[in-house]
Amino acid sequence: MAWPAPAERSESPLVQGLRRLRRSGTALVGVVIVVLLVTVAIFADVLAPQSPIASDQAHTFARPSWDHPLGTDQLGRDMLSRVIHGTRISLLVGVSSVLLALFVGVPFGMIAGFYGGRVDTLIMRVMDLILAFPIYLLAIILMVMFTPTAGLIGTMKVTGAIAIVRIPIYARLVRGSVLSIKEKEYVEACRALGVRDPWILFRHVLPNCLAPIIVTTTLGIATSIIVEATLSFLGLGTQPPTPSWGWDLKANISFIQANAWLSLFPGLAIFVTVLGFNLFGDGLRDALDPRLK
Amino acid sequence: MRVYVLRRLLGIVPTVLMITFVVFVMMRSVPGDPVVALLGDAYDEQDAIKVRASYGLDQPILVQYAIWLGKLARGDWGVSYMTGRPVLKDVLVRLPVTLELIVLSMAVALAIAVPAAIIGALRQNTWADYTATTIAMIGVSIPEFFIGVLLLLVFSIGLGGLLPSSGWTYLPGTCPTMVCGASLWGNAQHVLLPAIALGVGRAAILTRLLRASMLEVIRTEYVTTARAKGLSERPVVLKHALKNALIPTVTVMGLQVGFLIGGAIVVETLFAMPGLGTFGIDAIIARDYQQVQGFALLTALAFVVMNLVVDLTYTFLDPRIRYA
Repeated sequence: MAWPAPAERSESPLVQGLRRLRRSGTALVGVVIVVLLVTVAIFADVLAPQSPIASDQAHTFARPSWDHPLGTDQLGRDMLSRVIHGTRISLLVGVSSVLLALFVGVPFGMIAGFYGGRVDTLIMRVMDLILAFPIYLLAIILMVMFTPTAGLIGTMKVTGAIAIVRIPIYARLVRGSVLSIKEKEYVEACRALGVRDPWILFRHVLPNCLAPIIVTTTLGIATSIIVEATLSFLGLGTQPPTPSWGWDLKANISFIQANAWLSLFPGLAIFVTVLGFNLFGDGLRDALDPRLK
Repeated sequence: MRVYVLRRLLGIVPTVLMITFVVFVMMRSVPGDPVVALLGDAYDEQDAIKVRASYGLDQPILVQYAIWLGKLARGDWGVSYMTGRPVLKDVLVRLPVTLELIVLSMAVALAIAVPAAIIGALRQNTWADYTATTIAMIGVSIPEFFIGVLLLLVFSIGLGGLLPSSGWTYLPGTCPTMVCGASLWGNAQHVLLPAIALGVGRAAILTRLLRASMLEVIRTEYVTTARAKGLSERPVVLKHALKNALIPTVTVMGLQVGFLIGGAIVVETLFAMPGLGTFGIDAIIARDYQQVQGFALLTALAFVVMNLVVDLTYTFLDPRIRYA
């Protein structure tokens, strides 16, 4: 008797999801915005016509012109160059804070959900403690503790503060998924075969809770970018002279009466960036996890 | 039900204590010494030691927290290091400003979101729906302060100073001093832009959620039944569909409270309002421990109570949910 030929390996849900994503117009707009912004951030040094921090006392508050397409601020710094360089801080903080929260939150959530019992209680108590805080109260106090500074160190501090307040989101999400996945037959089969726990966790449990993680991460980047801009706006983000959209917007509000465009451009930049990640994240959610819609 | 509420109310105590304790410890590990800031140029080691002792700052942190708690139990919220004023008095003056802002912004949010969501859901995949969802998408992507700036540009600068860009006129009865002019009209002018700035973002989130859950609800059998028995569209939508669609929405709005508090801080800063948000951020930056504790206490209370209110709203929206 001949065995039937093995069926062709079916597409994984992830591949199917990505196929659906390609058909979503709004998600594509989001992808285009994000790719464009990442390009701007990477090539900021080449794209910016001037230095974002070099002041020019002779040309303060210049109106938009060919030399300064977005005008200059109170120190005569070229606004276009500042907005272009601001992309770096925004994306860097947005993406890295979410990744940091992810790399801490996901393992904790997996361990809590998989082992249960005391480990679960301990981990989730700590997470609940963080979640018990209004997010901005915690982020603001953390930033005051870290003392905001300029440059890369300053950016890392903001990243850390935002990551801390967002860790519980991932821990909870993953714990919930793991709780249901660990009861599945294939996990039981692994156990019966004597597969070690870490292997089960990473090879069998994690891939099955990836969809909500990916969606939450993309939308989380949008939220993190807003939190970063807000902290900057309150004077607690990356400090000047490092260009940061939130700070630039705040600093220029004093001059809004005569120089409206100065606050407008950093604000628009924040808006477009957040919009890009939101569109992308929404599309991903519809594509990967229709139940979440 | 009563037992449940009582148990939840008691549960508030440890949560609030925990938040205030963590804030207490965190603030004291902030680099910088409030006594140095207080004495300024007149700083002298001897004086500093005396001042520290007089405020109890030379004690271990746990002892300091116990002292703060002990005073709190007697209704004493402490005295600000910087201004010398009692914290409770300052907080009570600023609380109505922030409450007014938050309540009005939620009203703005509901006024925009409920009709937008209903139209979006009932006319799914029409131009009305696309417009509603697109505007909502834009709304969730704009930070409060940028909406505020745009409003400032249009209404304070563009329209020749139609509405004030900063400052505050107190509601009659909330004025902290004898001299501030309180008037209903002046107050309305001052609160309008901040309330819209804070409300638009909430409206966008609400619209998205409510539209999605409305879409689910209007396909359920009881809505079909309601229609089949000849009920007109209005009660079907408002009584049967909307009320049930509100349940998941309320949950997420409850989770939004933390963001609302942050939004209030930002909007108050932008419009220079004398509310709790500006009070809190100024206190944190100046390291005025007593004021920060007062702010943290009130914020934590508001946060926890709001979450409780959200849970209790369920029983109203869905009588099947009963808390034993």
